[in-house]
Amino acid sequence: MKHRLDVLAVGLGILLAATPVAAQHSFSATYDSDRQVTLEGPVTRIDWVNPHAFFFINVRDAGGTITNWAVEFGNPFDLERDGWKRNTLHIGDLVAVEGIPARGAVRQAFAKSVVLKPGGKRLFAAPGRRASTSAAAPAPRWPNGHVRLGPPPGKKGYWGAASVKALVENSAVKIPMNDDGLLLNIGDADRVAPFKPWAKAVYEQRQRSLLKDDPFARCLPPGGPRQFHTPYGFQFVEQPELGRILVLLGGGDRNWRVIYTDGRPVGQAAELVLSYYGTSVGRWEGDTLVVESVGFNERFWMTNGGLPHTEALHLTERFSRPDLNTLKYEVTVDDPRTYTRPWSGGWTIRWVPDEEIQEYFCEDNAESTFIR
Amino acid sequence: MRRRAFHLACFGACLGVVVSGLAQEGHPLTGTWTGDWGPTATQRDHLTFVMNWDGEKITGTINPGLDSIPIASVFVDVTNWTVRIEADTKDQSGKPLHIAAEGRVDNIGSYHRTITGTWRQGATNGDFKITRD
Repeated sequence: MKHRLDVLAVGLGILLAATPVAAQHSFSATYDSDRQVTLEGPVTRIDWVNPHAFFFINVRDAGGTITNWAVEFGNPFDLERDGWKRNTLHIGDLVAVEGIPARGAVRQAFAKSVVLKPGGKRLFAAPGRRASTSAAAPAPRWPNGHVRLGPPPGKKGYWGAASVKALVENSAVKIPMNDDGLLLNIGDADRVAPFKPWAKAVYEQRQRSLLKDDPFARCLPPGGPRQFHTPYGFQFVEQPELGRILVLLGGGDRNWRVIYTDGRPVGQAAELVLSYYGTSVGRWEGDTLVVESVGFNERFWMTNGGLPHTEALHLTERFSRPDLNTLKYEVTVDDPRTYTRPWSGGWTIRWVPDEEIQEYFCEDNAESTFIR
Repeated sequence: MRRRAFHLACFGACLGVVVSGLAQEGHPLTGTWTGDWGPTATQRDHLTFVMNWDGEKITGTINPGLDSIPIASVFVDVTNWTVRIEADTKDQSGKPLHIAAEGRVDNIGSYHRTITGTWRQGATNGDFKITRD
């Protein structure tokens, strides 16, 4: 029993720190962080599904009326990685939950703590997030001298967390926003990108609605720069003999993207079947992989926070690896239908050593499934 | 033959389901819109709008097909998402007929956003509502 409690404590604790980042949906749109809720009752159901695991409890109010609440407690991948199992909690267990309630009248909450009763032992408090580390080392290279974007020979690893949570135009002054890309001050919108008037209006509407219409929350692919912001990382599979580099994405729906490096010209968007990831052609400029992409559809938000784009979007991405543990990502956005001029932004991404990307599939339970 | 027709019908139905679910997150007016207009609640004429943002202006067509009407102009006020759409066609006798629609885009964030407002076609006044497919 003690082991079980420890697992609950460690697993949920680490999860709590990471979940708002890991969530497929916009945390801000779903939950009202300004409020708290305390719930107590027996567990009636456990949904161990991506992207959000839930348990349900029957809560009796002062008048004796019983209502069923849905309690989100994170992502199964994170939970399993940190020691939680699908049978750690059982139907019939009596629990007390302190959490953040969902917006509106939905009986749903995000767990900040769970106490397994009887005993009243608090199972966890919010700890710091675990960070993978690897010894400093130069970037690995292929025999021909090119930087390897994947692991060194015989090693494992993938690219994990980004240094920032949303794409903004390069600026000396940091723009305050949360992990969803939600501005703390909507007045900063003009500093995010050089919008055309309609695009600024759309961006501000998405911000004011707390990103509730985000297609990514419905498990649609994270095209454009956003693919390097999704939880669970990504990896490059370099196939020079086939003239291509594959980008395998751990977040979203485990999508992949192909960067052709066989010297073909950059496609003309009008001639392409438009897609979430576009058509990409790459070339090496010294130690930097430069990738040009066109042919994007308009069915996604290209970054956290809801920057709009049109089919005219042309991305120029630059990937470089100054050392083993760091990937530098820079992107120039050229979409004359949406922005008044081309603009650039970027971030760095940390290497996660000695691990493989775990299996993760988004399932569409991010909406208010539990409205009753 | 019946089997082929059945398969075609199934294919069409599946296509309809797929197409009706496609998101469009670019310019809010881009896409195909359907609805109707009329002077009364019972006198209604079907409308199909196809509009596209080219970076400078919105172009498009009303009721694409044999009797299509090119859209002459679209003005959008993005501060409140009001729109004014104008087009010119001919009536059944061949006389010029001016169309002016004024409305507002609602549910900007929805796949199935709408435009509702007033419709003037020649001397006839009415209302209209179109929903993005």
